[in-house]
Amino acid sequence: MPDVAVIFGGPSPEHDVSVLTGLQAARGLAGGSGPAVRALYWSKTGEWFEVDPGLEAESFLEGVPRGARPLVFTAAPGGGFSEAGGRLGRSRAVELDVALVCCHGGPGEDGTLQAALDLAAVRYTGPTVAGAALGMDKLAFGAVMAGAGLPTLPRVLLGGGVDRPDFEGPYILKPRFGGSSIGIDVVQDFATAQARLGANPHLRAGAVLEPYRPDMTDLQVGVRTWPTLEISAVERPIRSDGSTDILDYRDKYVAGEGMAGANRELPALISPELEKALRTAAESVAGLAGVRGMARLDFLSDGDTFVVNEINTVPGSLARYLWVTPPVPFATLLADLLAEARQRPTHAYTAAGADGSVLRSAGSIAAKLG
Amino acid sequence: MAVVGTAPVPSTVALEFARDHHGVAWITVACAVAACAPAGLRWLRVAQREHYLAGSVLRFAGRWWRSTPTNAALATGAVAAAVASLWWPPAGVATAAVVAAGPIGLGVRGRTSPLAWTRRLRTLAAVWAGLVVVLVVVGVVTGAASPLAVVAALAVPVLVDLACWATTPLERRLSGRFVDRAAARLVRVAPTVVAITGSFGKTSTKGHVAFLVTGTRSVVATPASFNNRAGLARAVNEHLADGTEVFVAEMGTYGPGEIADLVGWCPPDIAVITAIGPVHLERFGSEDRIVEAKSEILGPAPDVVLAVDDPRLAAVADRAAAAGKRVHRCSARDPAADVAVVRGSGGALSVYRRGSVLAEGIEVPVGVQPSNLACAIAVALVVGVDPEAVGSRLSGLPSTDHRLQAVRSGTGATILDDTYNSNPAGASAALAALASAAGDGPADGGGSRRAVVVTPGMVELGARQFEENRRFGAAVAGVATDLVIVGRTNRRALQVGSASVPGAGVRTVLVGDRPEAVTWVREHLGPGDAVLYENDLPDHYP
Repeated sequence: MPDVAVIFGGPSPEHDVSVLTGLQAARGLAGGSGPAVRALYWSKTGEWFEVDPGLEAESFLEGVPRGARPLVFTAAPGGGFSEAGGRLGRSRAVELDVALVCCHGGPGEDGTLQAALDLAAVRYTGPTVAGAALGMDKLAFGAVMAGAGLPTLPRVLLGGGVDRPDFEGPYILKPRFGGSSIGIDVVQDFATAQARLGANPHLRAGAVLEPYRPDMTDLQVGVRTWPTLEISAVERPIRSDGSTDILDYRDKYVAGEGMAGANRELPALISPELEKALRTAAESVAGLAGVRGMARLDFLSDGDTFVVNEINTVPGSLARYLWVTPPVPFATLLADLLAEARQRPTHAYTAAGADGSVLRSAGSIAAKLG
Repeated sequence: MAVVGTAPVPSTVALEFARDHHGVAWITVACAVAACAPAGLRWLRVAQREHYLAGSVLRFAGRWWRSTPTNAALATGAVAAAVASLWWPPAGVATAAVVAAGPIGLGVRGRTSPLAWTRRLRTLAAVWAGLVVVLVVVGVVTGAASPLAVVAALAVPVLVDLACWATTPLERRLSGRFVDRAAARLVRVAPTVVAITGSFGKTSTKGHVAFLVTGTRSVVATPASFNNRAGLARAVNEHLADGTEVFVAEMGTYGPGEIADLVGWCPPDIAVITAIGPVHLERFGSEDRIVEAKSEILGPAPDVVLAVDDPRLAAVADRAAAAGKRVHRCSARDPAADVAVVRGSGGALSVYRRGSVLAEGIEVPVGVQPSNLACAIAVALVVGVDPEAVGSRLSGLPSTDHRLQAVRSGTGATILDDTYNSNPAGASAALAALASAAGDGPADGGGSRRAVVVTPGMVELGARQFEENRRFGAAVAGVATDLVIVGRTNRRALQVGSASVPGAGVRTVLVGDRPEAVTWVREHLGPGDAVLYENDLPDHYP
């Protein structure tokens, strides 16, 4: 039987969190009686390795763990992963049934990895190319939500032809692309926001500006799509330090266990009306954003009303901690992800219509250019 | 003494075999070869801990066999028995027994730093085993099997050193592949390279630079111990992600020419020397040669950052300026320097840039050394961090792990962790911190607060090792109530030093290893007390 591979790491600021998610998933899969689990580690510099799935996080502290075997990845039919430089120069393919994608941020969550896996015909869990790309682009995601009539805060591209937003400060300044709260900043006025644009390396690829609403707190829900669309309990993440303006990267991940170890109120103590509204909105978002696998939706709420904030298409710890009412074991969540990967293809390329008629009637290329 | 009762005593074994002289010679050969196995593991581990530098194993063997009267007696006995075995082969069995079991205290596996079977170690082990086999085969062919096998057992440290020496060219060739890849990667990613060296303060300065630059540029710093050729290449190959704008590399040196090699393929845009001190003195010979070796880092760098409170580095700065480099002079006392970080009477720091104030009243963790911080600020300014941003980030400066880090223990005592420090200047800074920590603690009414120093002393100080540790012992006596001396490496120097201060009344406690010291501290310290853990030696030191 071909194996299941957990893919984690990657050239992303969230590389380390992804290692935690990946090792947790590998451990979760190893418990069952299913196929063998292989751990594929994507290094910070973009190289592929197979590592022991039973490794602990500290093995990755200094870089590629000891004993890692280099792999090559070929994005072509019959490609995929194979062992680099096997004996006598022959490479041995890593026979995979499904790849469980555990990469956060960067090319592992923005569609790049997904596109490569599609081209290699490797089946994988989580978002498709389009879903991943939309989820990573805060400007586009916000626009799709607003366009569909869901409540959102105004969000504008900083420096993208906008002289001045038509809402007042203070503002929250975010990288346009990026999967976590890294690089997020609260600024008092527009001039400061513009100054930050040059100084903050995380904003180089573009930044969005929205009103800062200290009266609103984060509320998060999990969405999973197999076997049917399901919405988790609502969670209120809790800041470790009351002095910070926004839920920062440290609050989310540095607690030790990754996302699964952070402080939270779960289920969040909110009114039944708000909860119902959030669940309905979550179902709409799932459709609009093309959620596949397991996503985490972030809302902001003042207790009565809410807005859709962001989506995480490969959430930390695969958002396993959100499934408390009713409880769903991690093994079940993982099994469903794998089943969906096998049964719901991410793409269907077609060459229908390219029947040669255009070629036949084309004549000579030189004549066309003349 | 149960051991004597159950195991055959060498001499009785020998007597038994003496009846058949020929057979006994072969038994001796077998015992000697068997003894090579545990001894080999022991000394291979030392070679690994000492970066495979040829000669280091023999040096450590000397240290260990002299470390206690028992070890010295065993060593003398083993050599005597080896000589005796020339006439009476069974004596060689005694040599083999000592080689297999000793020196007492140096474990085969290792507690703090176990043997790691890396590719390099496997190669080394194979070459060493080959040398043993060659000796024995030569012995068999020439009819001197027993003496040569005994020599192979007795000379395990020498043979391991020889194997280190023999494999060095091969290892350079192999690591060359990784270095070439790293060099190509550096060219492709093209970050601004900041190279930092110094006898001490490298790692702290590197951490400060990374912290100050983070908000403005995407920065990658080499992991803690990756500061030699192989480590730096690995850091580049595995950590230098595309899109990195600033790469902060720590460059260490064990001898002349090493840093020149590093900057050859990892050329710095900004070169930093943090300090000169008697670290690794036994490998360099003199501090002037250390200055020379560290100065190799300046190489082609257009910008140079130097801690000029040390007159030797001030001289380096003048030479660099004369050579047309942009020199940034950093100081911990002269506000007129290019960057100065000066500690005020209350402990808060003031930052000056050529005489004008850049930031004031900065509170930083106790272990932050102003001179290192000044160098880091100079680097941040060169890579284009806004001076205001530097000022505002400084107050969030984190402490560096194990570098004078202060924590409160479960029993309420203050623990100062300075276990990564191993130089005299850092040690006196740590003592000052201990004095103030002990003064800060809540009074317990009795006024009997304890200030304890736990230390194995400092090593690799060459001819000055005894003197520096004696001085440190004396300085401890002026501050602490108790001195817990770990291990035997510097025991006598520290004892002589602490006893040399009349009327200090410092109590000296001798323990074998770090865990024993921690147990002692747990039993004796309570709220308001303070303990300084100064330096830690891996267990391949006696």
